[in-house]
Amino acid sequence: MMTFKKISSKLIVLACSGILLAGMVPAVPAHAAEDVITIRVCNWEEYIDEGGWDEDEVIDLESGDIFGENALYEDFEEWYYETYGQRVKVEYSCFGTNEELYNMLTLGDEFDLVAPSEYMIMKLMSEGRLVPYSDEFFNEDNEYNYYIRNVSPFIRETFETNEINGEYWNEYAACYMWGVLGFLYNPEYLTDEEVSTWKLLVNENYIRQITTKDNVRDSYFAALGALKGDLFLSEEFLNDPDYHERLGAEMNDTSEETVAAALEYLQRVKDIVYSFETDSGKSDMVTGKIYSNLQWSGDAVYSMDLAEEEDVYLAYSVPEECTNLWFDGWVMLDVGIKGDAEKQKACEAFVNFLSRPDNAVRNMYYIGYTSSIAGGTDGDQIFEYIDWNYSADEDEEETAEYDIGYFFDGSEGGDYVLTVPEEQTYRQLFAQYPPKEVTDRSAVMRYFDTEANARINQMWINVRCFNIGKIKAAGWAAIIVLVIAIVIGVIVMKRGDKKARVNRRPLQHQ
Amino acid sequence: MKGTFQRKYLGIPYALYLLVFVIMPLIVIVKYAFTDASGRPGIGNFINFFTDPNTLGTLVYSLFLAFATTMICLLIAYPAAYCLAMSKISSKGAILMLMIMPMWINFTLRITALKELLTMIEGNLALHPFANSVIGMTYDFLPFMILPIYNQISRIDKSLLEAASDLGADQVQAFLRVLLPLSMPGVISGISMVFLPAMTNYVVLDMLYNSTYIMGSLIGSYFSAYDWHGGSTISLILLVIICIFTLVVGGDEGEKNVRGGSVL
Repeated sequence: MMTFKKISSKLIVLACSGILLAGMVPAVPAHAAEDVITIRVCNWEEYIDEGGWDEDEVIDLESGDIFGENALYEDFEEWYYETYGQRVKVEYSCFGTNEELYNMLTLGDEFDLVAPSEYMIMKLMSEGRLVPYSDEFFNEDNEYNYYIRNVSPFIRETFETNEINGEYWNEYAACYMWGVLGFLYNPEYLTDEEVSTWKLLVNENYIRQITTKDNVRDSYFAALGALKGDLFLSEEFLNDPDYHERLGAEMNDTSEETVAAALEYLQRVKDIVYSFETDSGKSDMVTGKIYSNLQWSGDAVYSMDLAEEEDVYLAYSVPEECTNLWFDGWVMLDVGIKGDAEKQKACEAFVNFLSRPDNAVRNMYYIGYTSSIAGGTDGDQIFEYIDWNYSADEDEEETAEYDIGYFFDGSEGGDYVLTVPEEQTYRQLFAQYPPKEVTDRSAVMRYFDTEANARINQMWINVRCFNIGKIKAAGWAAIIVLVIAIVIGVIVMKRGDKKARVNRRPLQHQ
Repeated sequence: MKGTFQRKYLGIPYALYLLVFVIMPLIVIVKYAFTDASGRPGIGNFINFFTDPNTLGTLVYSLFLAFATTMICLLIAYPAAYCLAMSKISSKGAILMLMIMPMWINFTLRITALKELLTMIEGNLALHPFANSVIGMTYDFLPFMILPIYNQISRIDKSLLEAASDLGADQVQAFLRVLLPLSMPGVISGISMVFLPAMTNYVVLDMLYNSTYIMGSLIGSYFSAYDWHGGSTISLILLVIICIFTLVVGGDEGEKNVRGGSVL
């Protein structure tokens, strides 16, 4: 370990001095341990455990207590020093949307490590802005490589098989959180059947009672899910040996006809839904303003927890047609790392530190999303935590078996079956760890090329704008009358004003 | 004798501010507005804006929303300001303070409260998105209308009204021919302070569940789609509209506008 560090620090000194010539190794001192390496990390808002837990919030697992005292990035600084004898400073900041992050990068903000969503990762990859993870990062024999040793096989396979321009995601990205897209709903008002289809958004029995996301990609996905729903549920499609490839292709269809159909569909949605919301949906579900809300699974967990405090019991459903499998992942930026191997090592260590099972539990507890980490090699805290969180008490009357083996070791009916209260099969547990049949009907929404992106954005603007064609003849007549009235009013006023001024001046000075 | 320090030097900080935060961004906006995605200059962006029924519709919708808001503000504010300015009560200051007090509270907070209030009254907010937006904007901008009008009316010499009635004008005539014209600078100042932000303040619409874009949200949607050209074009169009509006409404009242508004 030490040799690796020494060599890399020497290399970096050489690189920085710009005298890296073959065979010429001058005797420059290596990085002194007191030098502080600064890494600039930019993450989603409220997307990491910031510590400060109450004392009664200790998660008392069999393998030991888990407690968040300080923010994870502060703990990392300490851990890194203890482990590698090198001081690191984490400059932590946040972004609100993928587009905002991209615009920040375009405007010249420099970060070393950021955690955008899958499509933005693909965009950054295709633009050549990312630094690939080092070979050492994938070395499972290194005990500090928590990520590769503990990441879920389900996530790992997804990242190793999805590519953009011939490069696989896992070369550039380490999965942080993941989830699916579905409907958070209030079972008092809506039935299972009604919420198990994307067509809920145009269900005329619930006019102005359901919200959807103010986000072009999610809306487009929901529209395609509804438009192509009959195809997806047909026997022929479901039994196709290439089901997954076909589903993926259909859900990434950006042809002109499909976008035009989506436009028409979303205009209908706009006339029926309560609103396109970014954040208000969660609290509006709790207060009962709306019955259902298109929601990412992680936010759904948070909303259900929140609602429970107000004695409102919400549930989560993933439409039968298909769902969107999404990821947020850590990627290193070329513009920040600039070939600095020490910095890259610190960034990779940061990802590894967050992937240590106990730290992954802290994050999950704090933010409600689902970590990509399954554990195993370095402890079973993740499964223990799920068990601790959801397992049925002994006196629970209605219980159900819930198998999440696919996430942990790819098994079915193996060691990872929980006995949970029946309601958890459609509530928090269902949202946090959707069962295999849900992930089986999931598709990743890829990044669209410039042309398709422009087409879809224009479609979205057209959905949201007031079309001037909607104004009827009577409306135009009213507008013309109004404009004429205003013009006359202004003219009269100006005249009157001039007169008044001529008349009043002598008066005012009396 | 000229000293080493000239009074005009006092303007340097503001001149710098003007250069960095007003002139330079304006140049950037103009540059983006008159170029397309590949950097070729042209007026294609403007042609797109004025031939697309959706963007044009947004302009009409925003103008209409702003117009409705301004009219309602005016209808509420003028009588209130008039009563207060003309009354002889001694607690004028306290009442005026009550009127402008909402401005001391953060406006998103106020709209959140309004949202709950309207939900109680209407039941389902999403059924009347336009009306709610007008109510929200009015709620937000009313003090900006009351203050300049109040200041203008209370500055009018009351003996002018007495003179009018001495010369045989009844109350209505005195109001229409003396008071109203003299209070116009306050009205104009109020209108421009309400109308212009009402065209772009999309936060109010977002918070009150109106999913239709107005000019402000349209600009934002272009920017989040990385279309700096489209967004800048609309910003520039908005700027021109504001200029025209100010020229037509304000005109030679410019100087008095400043006085009416300076109390804020």
